[in-house]
Formats: sequence, C-alpha cells, structure tokens
Amino acid sequence: MIIRHLTRALCAASLSVAGGMSLHAQEMVKFGELEAQTGAINTYGWMSSQGTRLAVEEINKAGGFEVAGKKYKFDFTQVDTRGEPREATVQFRKMMEDKVPFVFGPFLSNIFNAIRPIAEQNDGKFLLMGGATSEHDYLGKAGSSYLIRTWNWDAGPEGFGTLMVQYIKKLGAKKVAMLFQNDAFGKVAVDIYKKIFADAGIELSVDMFEPGTKDFTSSLAKIAATKPDFLFPGYTDAILYDIVRQSLEGGYGAKFFIVRGSIGPALKNKDQIEDYIAYVPKYFEEAEKTEPAVKKFIEAYKAFYKRDFPYDQAPLCSSSCYDHVYMLVEAMKKAGTVTEVAKIREALSGMRYSGLWNIKYDSTGEEVISFNIAHVKKGGSVEVQSVDPTAK
Amino acid sequence: MIQLIIGQLLNGAIVGSLYGIVALGITLTFGITGIVNFALGAFMMLGAYFTWYGYELIGLPYPIAVIVAVLLVATLGLVADLGLFRFTRNNLVNGLLVSIGLISIIEASVLLTWTSTPKDLSYVLPGSLRVGGILLPKIKLAVFAVLLLVIASTYLALTRTWIGRAAFAYAQNPEAAALMGVKTNRLQTIVTVYSTALAGLGGALYASLYSLEPTIGAYYVLKAVESAILAGIGNTIGALVGGIIIGISEGIGSVFLPTAFRDAYGMLFLVLILLFKPSGLLGSK
Repeated sequence: MIIRHLTRALCAASLSVAGGMSLHAQEMVKFGELEAQTGAINTYGWMSSQGTRLAVEEINKAGGFEVAGKKYKFDFTQVDTRGEPREATVQFRKMMEDKVPFVFGPFLSNIFNAIRPIAEQNDGKFLLMGGATSEHDYLGKAGSSYLIRTWNWDAGPEGFGTLMVQYIKKLGAKKVAMLFQNDAFGKVAVDIYKKIFADAGIELSVDMFEPGTKDFTSSLAKIAATKPDFLFPGYTDAILYDIVRQSLEGGYGAKFFIVRGSIGPALKNKDQIEDYIAYVPKYFEEAEKTEPAVKKFIEAYKAFYKRDFPYDQAPLCSSSCYDHVYMLVEAMKKAGTVTEVAKIREALSGMRYSGLWNIKYDSTGEEVISFNIAHVKKGGSVEVQSVDPTAK
Repeated sequence: MIQLIIGQLLNGAIVGSLYGIVALGITLTFGITGIVNFALGAFMMLGAYFTWYGYELIGLPYPIAVIVAVLLVATLGLVADLGLFRFTRNNLVNGLLVSIGLISIIEASVLLTWTSTPKDLSYVLPGSLRVGGILLPKIKLAVFAVLLLVIASTYLALTRTWIGRAAFAYAQNPEAAALMGVKTNRLQTIVTVYSTALAGLGGALYASLYSLEPTIGAYYVLKAVESAILAGIGNTIGALVGGIIIGISEGIGSVFLPTAFRDAYGMLFLVLILLFKPSGLLGSK
C-alpha cells in the first residue's frame, strides 16, 4: 500500500515537473548571438553584443512580449568567437543542435564562410541575421532562406560605398590608394571597390599587407610615390590608428577615405590630417542632441553597463544589435508565431522600422539603413551628411 | 626612388633594432642556460602592457613608466627562472616546452586582465625630423638610440666586466668556469633575468610606436629567433645586426615586391645566408 502511494506520488511529481518544464519551454524563445567579443578584430562584434544584450534585458525585464495572445521571454545565449573560424564552427554547431531558431551574427566574413555549410544544412529551421560582407553573395539563393544580412551593401546605386566615392569625387579625387589586410574580407573589399571606383572614373591602386603587420612605413612610402589624392586603408581601428599615425609622421599622406572603422584615428591626429572621410552608420555625438531614441539608448546603456558610452564603437550597433532585437519581436508579433521562421522572415521583409536607425530589408533579405558620412577636417571639426535610402 | 630606398633602409634599421633587442635576450639565454626561451616574446608583450598601464592609466611620465615596466618584467623573469627554468637548464627540449607553456599563461593572463581590444598610447614624442628630404618620426629615432645604447652597453658589460667575462668563460667551458670560482647557478639566473628585462624594455619602447595586442610577442619572438640565427647564435652585436638585416630586408622587399609577403623577404635572406654560412653571418665555425 505504502509502495503504491509512493509510486503514485513519484509519478505525479514527475508529470508536474515535466509539465512545468514544457510550459516553461513554451514561454521562452531561444535566441543566440555569434560574434567576436574579444580578439584582434573584435571591433566587428563587440558593440553588436553589447546592444543585443541590452535590448534582450529590457524586453525580458518588461515581462517579455506577446505573440498570438501568449507571453514570451528570450532565452539568450551569447558566444565569443574571438574572430576564429574554428571556434565559431563549434559554437554554431552547438546552437543548431540546441535548435536555436534565431541567431544574430556573424559580422566577420571569415566566420560566415566557416559556418555557412552548417547553416545550409539547417536551412528552413532558423534565421541567421549577420552583417558579414561575404553573406551578400548568398542572399536570395537556393538553400539560403535562413540568411538575412543586417548591414547595408557598399555597391549599387544606393550603396554607401557608391555614395561615398561620389562624395570624394566632388572633392576632386582622381587617384585613390587602397591598403587593406590580405584576408577574406580584404579580398572581398578589393573586388567591391575596384568596380565602384572604376564606375566613378577614379583610378584605384591596391596594396595588401599581412595580418599582424604593425609597421606600414614601406607600404605607405611605396604608395606615396604614386601620389594618390586619398589613402583608403582598412579595416579595423587597431590597424587604422597605426596607419594614420605612420602616414602623417612620415609625410606620406594626410587625406583618408574609410569605409570600415571609426573616426577615432582622425580625432587623435586632428591637427595633422587634412581630410578624413568615413562611413559612420550614425554619428552618435550629434544624434544624441537631436534624436530622442538615441538619447534614451545612451542613457539605458550607461545605466545597464555602468560605464561610459562607447561613442567610437556605437555606430557598429547598426548590425544585428539593439534595433534588430526589437525588429525581430515586431516581426514575430506580425507573423503571429515564434517558431515558423519563414513567416517571421516574410514579416521582416515587409517592415520599415524606426529606432536608432531607419531600417528595412530589400527583396533578397539585405538591409537598407539610414547612415551618415562624416568628414573630419584639420583641427577636428566634423561635418556630417545624413543619407536615408529607406525613405524611397 | 633613391629617397624611397634610403628611407626604407633607415626605417628597416629602426624596426630591426626592436627585433635585435629580443634576439639579444635569446642569444644570451641560450649561451648560458642552453634554453631557447620563446617566452621572451611574451615578456616583451608584458613590458608593453605595463608601460601602457603606467603611462596611460596611472599617468606616470613615459620614462618612469618604462623603468617600472622593465623592473616588473625582470621580477617576473626572476620568478620564472626560480620556479621553472632552473629545472630545465641545459635541456633544450624541456626548456622549450616550459617556455611555450609560459607563453600561454602570460597571454591568457593579459587577455583576462585587459582583454584583446587593442590599446594605443597617447603620443610620447610627436612630430618628425627632416633628414635629407626624408621625414623620420622623432619617437622612432629616440627608440633606435636607446636600443643601440642598451645593446652597446651590454656588449661592453660582457667584454669589460668580471661578470661578463665569467659569462663568456661559462659559455665556452662550464666546468672550467666553475673551477675558477664562477657561481654558475647565480650567473644563469642573472643572465635569464637580464634577458627578460631586455625583452621588457623592447616591449616598453614598442608601446610608444604601435598599438598593443596580446599576440604581439609571438610575432616578435619569431623575428628575434630569425635574427639570432642569421647573425649566429651567441654573438651579442650579431643579434642587433641580424635584427637590422631582417628589418631592412622586409622594408626594401616590400618596396619592390608585394607587401602581402613581407615576412617572407627576411626569411629568404636567412635561408640564403645559412646556405652559404651555416654558422650564421657573424658566427664562428
């Protein structure tokens, strides 16, 4: 008799625990992020990680979000790839085994190239929302319905690269020298910009350096001998600080054209530069004064992380970051589901979101986003030009 | 073109002297303890980070930050010698394994403490000097002068002081040196600590030139080993000469050939030298 009661009690307890777990699982939406938070090129990943976590915490703290009459919270996992493809592959495979339906990242092309085969094996089961340049080639292709690219494309009539090249053409640029790292993104960037500069009728020379290079003097001297109007170096701040400094100290050039990287190197050398034109998704220092959403974000960041706001890194929150989390939630609400990724993708495609940025996606799943072109002049004054291709 | 080549010769010499200071530590350690201490690259990186911390975060004047960094690195070198290298002396393989393990520990500690986000010092000595139409950054010239001075002083100390002659004697015949009253254990510790201090100084000066990352040591120690082998292991001045040759090969090679293969140009020079003179450029047979 006692044994029977004990068995019933155990069964009831097991059922209630299992039921509780299943109820709990239904209320949570798995959400992962795969970015380089540390490592030599963590510029592309660190701010996205910060902004995404902030948005998730805000949403969960507010009690979650309601989809089809049911409340959900995010079950959020962030992993640090350190920019290393092998590490990222292991982490991403685990996410797929854990059936994570929404993955933010990667921002780095070498990471995307490494995880792409695993992603294709899981096509239809999840959405990958990353800013990697190499993702562009797979958008809208068979087997890539999982892919949404969360950064605007350099080329094309509305591409920021095209508009920036037109900007320096107006400044009289006839010859530009590109100095990029010899790696996956560096090669893609060369292919993209060769065409953009050729279309604009500007001569482009290309020199590539080995990853890990710190002294660029020989490259800069060689480039300077060809007398370019602008030096076009890339693509991380760690490299830009060294290149800009060495170029100025050696008298190799004082005009810079930047499509990946902050205006930090220009401000550090403000008295030596002549022109430093950079693609800046948003110039937060100015936007804070005029845009309430930006001001609110900066205050929320400071309160949550209890540190100064990283104005130099913040523009990179334009990829898979704060806005994109809220956009994903809106898409789930609109689609009426948290599991059917095809419907959620469709909802994202038909949406124009206004947050820190104005964001929408084109028919292939590539982001179209408002942005700034920052022109830092000798002495440190910054002239900002706003461009909003989402308004069209 | 002539100006470009002269500029690269000068820059190559300056960059190469940084390889040379680490190469000097490698050649001294190998000569006295029989260990190729790859961890000297990690000690160099530590010197750079300590300098950044002292100068940028604490606000020490740069020369004081450098001295403090060198002393801290030397202290860590002493700890490493007493705790680890003392047990691997004259055992090339064990010494190598310990030094590789030490690199992991030091790099992981720096990653944990300061993350991998690159650090950049405020300019210590801004501006450039124009020498015959070539602009040379003042800080590079200052770093070059300090490195030359330290390497020359080390050479003088080795040839003109009792301890230097004891080190030479020990390198030639350890037993005879011990019989002549050289305290071999103490001598080995002194040389190991001095080598780490040299690497720390290299790092401290490096910090005034380039941005810092935890992996910089690995790059420089390879260049240093290349320099030491090129000149001939055991040759003090040769370490500097080897470093400068590697630096110039990279600089000049990058002018005429693609920069993307910059590291290969120094290596090519090394292979050519070893083909014709296996003991190194200045090494004895």
